[in-house]
Amino acid sequence: MKLLRALVALTVAGCATAATVVAHHSFSAEYDAKQPITLKGTVIKMEWINPHSWIHINVKNADGTTTEWMIESGTPNTLVRRGFTKQSLLPGTEITVEGYRAKNGANRANGADLILADGKRLFLGSSGTGAPKEAPDGQ
Amino acid sequence: MVRGLTAAATLVGTVLAGAFVIAQAPAAKEAKPAAALPRTPWGTPDLQGTWDYRTITPLERPRELNGREFYTEEEAAKLEGRAGRRMDGPPESIQPGLNHAQYLTDPGRRLAGRRTSLIIDPPDGRIPAVTAEGKARQARLPNRGASGAAVSSWLDRGNQERCITYGLPTASLPTLYNNNIRIVQTPDTAVIVHEMIHEARVVPLDGRPALSSKIGQWIGSSRGHWEGDTLVVETTNFSGQQNFRGSTTGLHLVERYTLVAKDRLEMRLTVSDPTTWEKPWTVLLPMSPTEGELIEYACHEGNYAMFNLLEVARDEDKANAAKPAGGESK
Repeated sequence: MKLLRALVALTVAGCATAATVVAHHSFSAEYDAKQPITLKGTVIKMEWINPHSWIHINVKNADGTTTEWMIESGTPNTLVRRGFTKQSLLPGTEITVEGYRAKNGANRANGADLILADGKRLFLGSSGTGAPKEAPDGQ
Repeated sequence: MVRGLTAAATLVGTVLAGAFVIAQAPAAKEAKPAAALPRTPWGTPDLQGTWDYRTITPLERPRELNGREFYTEEEAAKLEGRAGRRMDGPPESIQPGLNHAQYLTDPGRRLAGRRTSLIIDPPDGRIPAVTAEGKARQARLPNRGASGAAVSSWLDRGNQERCITYGLPTASLPTLYNNNIRIVQTPDTAVIVHEMIHEARVVPLDGRPALSSKIGQWIGSSRGHWEGDTLVVETTNFSGQQNFRGSTTGLHLVERYTLVAKDRLEMRLTVSDPTTWEKPWTVLLPMSPTEGELIEYACHEGNYAMFNLLEVARDEDKANAAKPAGGESK
């Protein structure tokens, strides 16, 4: 189920009708769609860089040590339009990230979903919350 | 399905309210400047500001529409509903090659006035036939940046991946994100700043001649003038180091910017390159104002992607080298 969800979360450009479908770089050259990963950690810093922001987090390992991970994220404008501010991910913020790991096993991931400590999901919300512009279910 | 952040929805709502709410009626084909539009102190239309040209209308008309120019209201509602859900919730299907996380992209959620293609000429809504010479040239193009492309060196990657340029007309057409330009005007100059990818095109409006044909530039050289209330920008002198679908140094672009309402700027772009396409083609792209400034494209400084994909490729090389000869297991 989790894998299914992860796979579903994988797609992006649903409306690949976008005129010139050109992304900055190839997902498949860097990340492994077969390696969905969930990381829980605290924010070290967030780099607001075009065309991809990066979230650096410390992830606590089972043995008590921590490992630094880099999470690839959206363009600054994309994030701002979705409500992100510079205050959203201050250092020390606890987050859970779901994404896809680097093909070579490095501690990097392409982020797909981000969950705050209070359970609020950024970018992938549940349906039926009545927010403006919400599309009806089942269409 | 929805985003958790009310602020996000509010912001998006604000952007969209100014955006494609003024859906162009199917019958309204010509851009006619309305009265009382903002003007500069020197009298020209004031196009200044940041403009958002996100749209889910594709560049070329899908063949299955058999040349139909507009979607029906019902079709449009369905497509826009799907695009909205894509932005607000989990994706509906997986598209190999576009496996970026959902929140990395921002392609919009509205059609361009229910149009089925951004191309309005030729009437079939598609890029004209490629010449024989153009086809041969396209066949020689390196497979850069695409899935399966070589990763021996950064030189194997495309110019946009290397943070060099998106090129033209690519930078003027909608893509997966950062579909924003900023226009600044003076009496004798217009500047068009593209968020993709840190290009500031300084367009003289003073009637000076074109650059010598001996000079080629990555994004060409632009000259502009006003035709009535339309800003016309002509771009030539391409170096050919960046091409659009195999275009050459003969690429010739004419952009026509017309303010048709306070919150709607229309750009008509005519692309020609006689050795590449059998005839010119024209795009109609509506834009709406958006708040804020463009965010700088500090691509090189933050281009972890290049390091990452080269590192992955070298690790794969090592793994392959470590395999016993002839011992391919799969």
